[in-house]
Amino acid sequence: MDHLAGYVFIGAAMFVLGVFTMVTRRNAIYVLMGAELILNAAALNFVAFARHLGNRLDGQMFAIFIVILAAAEAAVALGIVLQIHHHFPSIDVSKPDRLGD
Amino acid sequence: MDSFSFWFFGGCALVGATLVALMPRLVHSAFSLVLALIGVAGLYWGLGADFLGGVQLLVYVGGITILFIYGIMLTPRDATRTKLTALLFPGLIAVVPVAVMLHLAWQGLAVAFHAPAELAEPQPTVDAIGRAFLTRDQYLIPFELASLVLLAALVGAVFLARRRKES
Repeated sequence: MDHLAGYVFIGAAMFVLGVFTMVTRRNAIYVLMGAELILNAAALNFVAFARHLGNRLDGQMFAIFIVILAAAEAAVALGIVLQIHHHFPSIDVSKPDRLGD
Repeated sequence: MDSFSFWFFGGCALVGATLVALMPRLVHSAFSLVLALIGVAGLYWGLGADFLGGVQLLVYVGGITILFIYGIMLTPRDATRTKLTALLFPGLIAVVPVAVMLHLAWQGLAVAFHAPAELAEPQPTVDAIGRAFLTRDQYLIPFELASLVLLAALVGAVFLARRRKES
């Protein structure tokens, strides 16, 4: 099953499940996990297309940069989540709806 | 990539992602995310991306998941519960576009690439990736910028997450 469609199918399914997680949950950490699923789906597509369209390295380089940015995003976002938890009793993403104090 | 490992790791990724979306408890979703990430790492190996698979395991499974677990431990527990029935209605709404999208992906690609050419045997990529990162007309600038972004993001994360004195 070395078939591009299989990888694109898995990537599309992971993307959809990530969007579903981000849309249906109101807990901020669920939203972050959905974002990680989406980033993984995109990176998987990059690597699969690069392998099947000429066996180039560029798709893997893009995926490595996606992993780098995902690490940075997760660190900053969890810092923000901790601050939300500090200011509000919960980490419900619909609670912080005003700027400043 | 042989058929068994494709279905095994692809199944890991799909089952893990589904459980992330459906598990009622946050901790269970985090561990399902580990399963999905390991599945994606296996798919990378099958695609000949050995270095990227290792990076995926180290950074995602070893690093980001630990961050999530710490985030879960540091936030209130009762906010981490979602009834599965609350997901039923959005799930039913989501089924139609998802089916259309997956069908289009499958059909379009099956038409465009229905007879994949004999793929070249995957080569070890570590050497080539190292050279690409440090060659100026390839990825040197993005590589150095990425180190700056990581430094700024981690310093910013420490700054954001610290507890302020006055409160």
